[in-house]
Amino acid sequence: MDFTLSEEQQMLQDTVVRLVRDSYSFEQREQFYRSEPGFSWAFWQQLGELGLCSVPIAEAHGGFGGSGVDNLLIMTELGRNLCLEPFLQSQIHGAGLLQQLGNAQQCEALLPRVASGELQLAVALEESQSHYLLHDVQTRAVVVDGGWKLSGHKVVVVGGHSAGLILLSARTAGEPLDEQGISLFLLDPASVGVSRRAYPNIDGPHACDVVLDEVFIAADSLLGEPGRALPALRYQRGRAIAAQCAEAVGGMQEAFRLTLDYLKTRQQFGAPIGKFQVLQHRMADMRGELELASSMAILAACVADEVDSEERSRRLAAAKFVVVRAARFIAEQAIQLHGGIGMTWEYNLAHHAKRLVMLSHQLGDDDHHLQAYAELLKSA
Amino acid sequence: MKVLVAIKRVVDYNVKVRVKADESGVDLANVKMSMNPFCEIAVEEAVRLKEKGVASEIVVVSIGPTAAQEQLRTALALGADRAVLVESSEELNSLAVAKLLKAVVDKEQPQLVILGKQAIDSDNNQTGQMLGALTGYAQGTFASKVEVAGDKVNVTREIDGGLQTVALNLPAIVTTDLRLNEPRYASLPNIMKAKKKPLEVLTPDALGVTTTSTVKTLKVEAPAGRSAGIKVKSVAELVEKLKNEAKVI
Repeated sequence: MDFTLSEEQQMLQDTVVRLVRDSYSFEQREQFYRSEPGFSWAFWQQLGELGLCSVPIAEAHGGFGGSGVDNLLIMTELGRNLCLEPFLQSQIHGAGLLQQLGNAQQCEALLPRVASGELQLAVALEESQSHYLLHDVQTRAVVVDGGWKLSGHKVVVVGGHSAGLILLSARTAGEPLDEQGISLFLLDPASVGVSRRAYPNIDGPHACDVVLDEVFIAADSLLGEPGRALPALRYQRGRAIAAQCAEAVGGMQEAFRLTLDYLKTRQQFGAPIGKFQVLQHRMADMRGELELASSMAILAACVADEVDSEERSRRLAAAKFVVVRAARFIAEQAIQLHGGIGMTWEYNLAHHAKRLVMLSHQLGDDDHHLQAYAELLKSA
Repeated sequence: MKVLVAIKRVVDYNVKVRVKADESGVDLANVKMSMNPFCEIAVEEAVRLKEKGVASEIVVVSIGPTAAQEQLRTALALGADRAVLVESSEELNSLAVAKLLKAVVDKEQPQLVILGKQAIDSDNNQTGQMLGALTGYAQGTFASKVEVAGDKVNVTREIDGGLQTVALNLPAIVTTDLRLNEPRYASLPNIMKAKKKPLEVLTPDALGVTTTSTVKTLKVEAPAGRSAGIKVKSVAELVEKLKNEAKVI
C-alpha cells in the first residue's frame, strides 16, 4: 500500500501544522479553556478563512469535498495540540448528518455557512439512559399545527453551548429502544422552552445538557423522512469515530514524544532514566501500541466515506477499540514514566492523558464497540 | 513589474537535526523538509507587492533536487504566479547558486529579485550579495521594510544598533530579514489553485552554468551538550560567579 500523501495533502497538512503550532501553544490553550466559550473563536474563524472548515463538506454545498484522509490530517494536528474547538462535532458529525438527511433547500441554506465557519453545529444524540445506543431515544416529538413539539433531555452535547444550531434526535413514533420512529431535527437553541446547562468536560472541551420543555419548532426543521433517521445516525457516527481515532493518534504521538524527551532528560542514579532497560521496554510497548493505533486510524479514515455496509461498520468498530485501548495504555504509561509531574495541571502531558482516556467514553466505549464487532462477525 | 523570488528547500526549523556518524553532514533521512523561513518572508513580500498593484508577476525559483518542487508548489499556493526549478542533485555552494540565479535573472529579466538573507541550514548569508555582484544590480540586504517608488526601491536595513534606509535603482536585489513581514498560511483554495500554475524544470547545463565547487566540507560537528546548572545561595554569590567564573560582567 502506498501511504504517501499527495502534494495537496502535504500542503494541507503543512498549513494545519503551522497554524496550530503558531496559535495553540499550551499556554494559549489554557487561556482558551478558561475563556467564556471554552475555545477560541478567533482560531475557529481562522480555520474558516483558510478553508479548513470546508474540507469535510461536499463541493456542491460550498465545501472542498475532502476525503477521510484529508479529515484525518486535520484531526491529527488538532489532537496533537489538544485543540478545544468542536471541529469534529460541527464540521464532520453535524455537517455530515445535515448533508445526508437534509433536503436541497436545507443544505443550500445552511451548509455554505457551515463550510465558511460562520455557523457552528452540535449533535445531541445521547441521553442519560442511552449508553451509546443511538436507538435508545426517550426525547419525544409530537406533531402539532405547523410543526413539532419537543420534550426531553439530552446530555453531554459537546459544543452545544456555542452552536448556532443543534441536530437533535427525537422519537416521533414507537416505544423506547425501537429502531423505527427516530427522527432528526434542527433545533435553534434560542427557541422558547430550551434550556442549556454548560460545563467543561474533564478532558477540556466544553459541553452542555439540553432540556426541552414543550419546544415548538417549525415543520421544516425536520431532517429527512420522519422516523427514519437511525441509519444516517449510525453512518455518521462512523465518520465521527474515524475522525476521533485520528485525533487520538495526534494526542498519542505527542504524549509519546513528551515522555521520550523526559526520559532523555531526567537524571536518576547518575544517568538519564531512559538508559534503564525496564523503561526502554515500556517505551517500546507504547510505540508498538501507537503504531497499531495509527494503522487502524488510517484504515478508519479510508473506509469512513465508503457506502454503508457491515464490513465498514466492523472495521470502524475495530478501529475504535484498538485506538482507545492504545490511548489508555499510552496515557497511563506516560504518567507512570513521568512520575508526579505527569499529573500536574501546568504540564500538557496531564491534559493529553485525560483526553486520551476520555476519548473512550465518547461515541461508544471499547466494550460497546467490541460487542458490536463480535455481533457483526457472527452475522458475517 | 516582474519580481523574482529565490527559495530554498531546507530541514524544517522545528526538527532537531542530527549529525551523521561519519561527521560528513546532517542526517536528512526521513526528516521533514520545508521552505527556508527567510524565503517564506521573501515570497510574502512579493505577494504583498502584487496585492498593492506594484508587482505584476511573481516568479519563484529554486535550485535543488526534484523534491524541491514541493516548496515551489507551496510558494505558488502562497500567491506566486509561476515557478522554475533548476534541478541539481549536487550539494551546491553559494557561488554556484548565485551563478545559476544570475542565469535565471538573465532569462527572466525581473525588475526586483527578493531572497532570504540566509538559509537556516548552511547559515552562509552570501547568495544575495554574490548575485548582486554577478548581475551588477544594486542590493539592499537585511531588509525590514521595502517600498517601491517609481524606478527606485527604498529598503530599510537592519544594521548593528539601528536602521539604515537606502534607495536602490531598479532592477535591484533585496534580501529579507526576520521582521520584514509575517508570512501567511496557504489557504485551501490557493493550494488547489497552485496545482494548475506552471512549473518549469531546467538544468544547470541548459542554463550553461558549471557548478563545480571550490569549497569542500571537511567535518560537521554537533554543538557540545549543555551542562547542568548550579544553585547559588545568594545574589552576592551569583554576582561573584558571573564576574569571576563566567566573566560576563
